[in-house]
Amino acid sequence: MIPPETDATADHQRASDMSTAEGSPAEPAQEAPNLKEMGVREGAGHGVHVKGLRAFYGDNEAVKGIDIEFPANQVTAIIGPSGCGKSTMVRCINRMHEEIPGARAAGSVTIDDLDVYGPGVDVTSVRRMVGMVFQKPNPFPTMSIFDNVAAGLKLTGTRADNLREHVHRSLRAVGLWGEVKNRLNSPGHGLSGGQQQRLCIARTVAVEPEVILMDEPCSALDPIATLRVEELIDELKARYTIVIVTHNMQQAARVADSTVFMLDGEVVEHAPTDSVFTNPRDERTERYVTGKFG
Amino acid sequence: MQETRHQFREDLKELERQVLGGLDLVISQLDRAQESVSYQDVELAALVVADDDRIDGRYLEVHQGILSLLARQAPVAGDLRIVAALLHVIRCIERMGDQCVNIAKLVPLSGYEAPKDKEILDAIERMGQLARSQVAQAKEALRTRNIQMAQDLVHQDAEINRLNRAIFKRAVEIGDDMDMREWGMFMILVARCLERIGDNTVDIAEQVVFVVTGLFRELAGASTTAETAPSS
Repeated sequence: MIPPETDATADHQRASDMSTAEGSPAEPAQEAPNLKEMGVREGAGHGVHVKGLRAFYGDNEAVKGIDIEFPANQVTAIIGPSGCGKSTMVRCINRMHEEIPGARAAGSVTIDDLDVYGPGVDVTSVRRMVGMVFQKPNPFPTMSIFDNVAAGLKLTGTRADNLREHVHRSLRAVGLWGEVKNRLNSPGHGLSGGQQQRLCIARTVAVEPEVILMDEPCSALDPIATLRVEELIDELKARYTIVIVTHNMQQAARVADSTVFMLDGEVVEHAPTDSVFTNPRDERTERYVTGKFG
Repeated sequence: MQETRHQFREDLKELERQVLGGLDLVISQLDRAQESVSYQDVELAALVVADDDRIDGRYLEVHQGILSLLARQAPVAGDLRIVAALLHVIRCIERMGDQCVNIAKLVPLSGYEAPKDKEILDAIERMGQLARSQVAQAKEALRTRNIQMAQDLVHQDAEINRLNRAIFKRAVEIGDDMDMREWGMFMILVARCLERIGDNTVDIAEQVVFVVTGLFRELAGASTTAETAPSS
């Protein structure tokens, strides 16, 4: 169950103070958590279960007691009009919601058997397990391409001899290796928008999370870069459970196995994507996806 | 919340109007084809053949409009079902138009002063009336999204199928006169065309059910014609 307050700090805020050349040793900031001991089962694919989740900004209830099952190794899209609570809900999964002053959450979020808000659960470990990709590509501005990917690894205590291998593997996983292999020490900010977003995804997958949350990951990208990221999402789901918030319904239709339609902080419909876009059960879903209201 | 995509909605309605108008064109062609058979009117039959260009043109117009709508507007949910159904229905319209042409082309082949059998002629006339009624009912069912009206077409179609079998049976028994037998064979072909038009209206009925419910299923009895009527 979710406690009222925590004082955790986002990974990227800590990481922004770190910058080292490729391959240079870094002191581990903390020990990597033993996920098995925490209740996360071994092997690829971990389901996320949101139950009775409520999220508040002060007195305003943005998410009103929702239940959603995010199946392992599937892409689940969250759609809905602005202000419906979809981003808030997603940020509750990795406990980022509580970082906002006055914000709080209630209910439960579990990854396999791990209660994300359980007593004694380390918030940083949760965020390592649940990576997040944001709307705007946000590579660390003072870091090289290599260090951008290595930043999270250093926080989790990956040794220097393994660091290079992890970074290279992550860049390959997001299809960026061929484009940057000869300029790993160049600033991450020198990449195009689409490349920057894939760099951020590489940074996310480098720490080998169990779940990846994507909050409108392509809204700042051109169509080709968008398609590259969408292809990447399709490849990544073999290893990760992916939740993507998007305003682009065609994107949801293209990438998601199932789609959740939220309205006014509630889940109106959660069904296979085919069904949502060809024969939605709820009239409100029909009206939203066909643009009869927006 | 405010309604959006007004232009898309107008474009979709216009496509549906064109499809419904296409069914009116079929009714008009069917009336004239039927009349040309009943009165052995070769000139009228020629007009039916020539006017098929109007139905073909409507098919191309709607087909292009639907492709454009799919490419530019990416319809989903109920809108997508309507678009898919319209694409199917306009194909049925084009096929029904072709059946009218097939009937009309048989008129000069059966001779200017062909011998006639009243029993067969009456049955052909009745089939024509039923086919016309079914096309009109299919149009109304689509326009009003009326499932009951759509499903009722299956029952009506059973009568057309029965008459088709009766005409075949009568033509076989029509006698030894060669001209009469030849005319009987032509009437079997006319009956077959009318029976196919009936089947096309049932196809449209299935699309109406699909648009409304989101589920496609062959309506009961729709597939039984092949085993009960001579195949084309």
